[in-house]
Amino acid sequence: MHNDFIQALLSQDQSHLHPKLEGDTVENAVRFQVYQNNLVVSLQDALADIFPITQKLVGETFFRAMAREFLLQHPPTSPIISEYGANFSDFIRHFEPAQSVGFLPDVASLEYQLLQLTHAAEVETLDHQSISTTFEKTQDPSQLVLELTPNCQLLHAPFAVGSLILANQRDVSSNHININESEYILLHKSFLYARLSVISFDQACFIKALQEGVTLANAVPESEGFDLGGSLAKLIEWKLIRNIALQPD
Amino acid sequence: MTNSLLNETQAKQEAPCSASCFASHSGVSLKPVYYQTILEHRPAIGFFEIHAENYLSQGGPAAYFLRQIRQEYDMTIHGVGLSIGGENPLDIEHLNKVAQLVEEIQPAYFSEHLAWSTHDHHFYNDLLPIRYNKDSLDRVCQHIDQVQTRMKRPILMENPSTYLAFADNDFSETDFIREMVKRTGCDLLLDINNVEVSCFNQGRQAIEYLEGFPLEAVKQIHLAGHTLDDNPIVPLKIDSHDDAVSQDVWSLYQYTLQRLGDCPTLIERDGNLPELVELIAEAEFADRIRRAVKQGGSVDA
Repeated sequence: MHNDFIQALLSQDQSHLHPKLEGDTVENAVRFQVYQNNLVVSLQDALADIFPITQKLVGETFFRAMAREFLLQHPPTSPIISEYGANFSDFIRHFEPAQSVGFLPDVASLEYQLLQLTHAAEVETLDHQSISTTFEKTQDPSQLVLELTPNCQLLHAPFAVGSLILANQRDVSSNHININESEYILLHKSFLYARLSVISFDQACFIKALQEGVTLANAVPESEGFDLGGSLAKLIEWKLIRNIALQPD
Repeated sequence: MTNSLLNETQAKQEAPCSASCFASHSGVSLKPVYYQTILEHRPAIGFFEIHAENYLSQGGPAAYFLRQIRQEYDMTIHGVGLSIGGENPLDIEHLNKVAQLVEEIQPAYFSEHLAWSTHDHHFYNDLLPIRYNKDSLDRVCQHIDQVQTRMKRPILMENPSTYLAFADNDFSETDFIREMVKRTGCDLLLDINNVEVSCFNQGRQAIEYLEGFPLEAVKQIHLAGHTLDDNPIVPLKIDSHDDAVSQDVWSLYQYTLQRLGDCPTLIERDGNLPELVELIAEAEFADRIRRAVKQGGSVDA
């Protein structure tokens, strides 16, 4: 019986359901519409909460129409609604009416990753003082290994979606952004919330090397313009360093 | 304005809530927009109720503020995703997550719905109606047994709000609920707004429904607002939770307390959220009715 109910919910085909209901068919169609409406509106609202900037970029009417198509084809697979929409970005990529906004799937993907990071368990990291102390006490700090928190993710986006999201979060103009420029983006956590920072290619190489567990000396990119002091200061400001140790011999 | 009103509210009840607040003072739904206000002003309120499924993350603001607020207030946990009325077996992974939350938070009660929301691995984010026949009673009872065994406590089951009815039922809704209580030893959450909504939609008398309801098993009451869909084919009341409790629901509430005796009560609100102080005022109105009924009187609701 629940199969018939679901089929009627997701399509307009209520033919299998109506014989199982008490009362008049015309009335029951109106009654059943309440359940259809609840499903569609509640999930449209949920997607709007999860992807607020995606919605802002295309407008509410377009977003809700796109969300409706998505939710009818891909209903949630878990009762934890904040996890809904993992494949929304892929859906947008193939959604014909959204093809003119080529960067939209990347915005949606980034929004989803930010929300999931917000919900990830907080991990304790070292404060400025203890990092300074370790550096001062170490004879050759270049041999230190900086262990980064698992709550940091490095991304290379084909569009300037990091800058676009930051401009929208801060409610400032995005006119200056060249959306077709690729960007390196770091997702990290500030207290309870995920944040994103647009970083340079060199900084991305440096952080990637640290994530792989090499020493500071080996993590520094060969590029002449790399600012080690400034990059370390950012790691401290973003609270990315979980532990510091000398590489074991 | 919010702050000064909250201070007034606090001034009215100078004694801080004791551990028995859930039993003695009505509560309200906990929503993220209220976190800061609650922690800054510590309003006098009986308890807060959360939806389990909104608090299963390992980190982030929901996990953090839940534990901060729990240190100061009684709580109840309301599940919206176990799909106890479903035809498929319960999702064990999800049940385990909810049970772990219940074990940690130690709510006064954990409640769920006489409804279904999951089918063939998909979750439909609504409380869908069940047929009241013997097969469905067996399934519901087996699922309740499974949840109570996992949680090592009796749970409360909530009467549904419905918009249509199935043919070939073996039981009335209240007989089904009575049998479910007898077989599983579960207790009940009586949602009086759901009674009003379902009875209006099914062309029945709310008072008659309450007469048939096993009130002796009721451990908590929900009050909420509904909206009227005044369409020309069949007007329907929609259980929207996005407005203040309506006059007819307050009247039914008083009627219920006169038969049931005092009962912990929640003002349930999920949408169109007002300032917290407005929900607290509704909880205080519920408390006025509770006090009046205890003294053998009534309030002009």
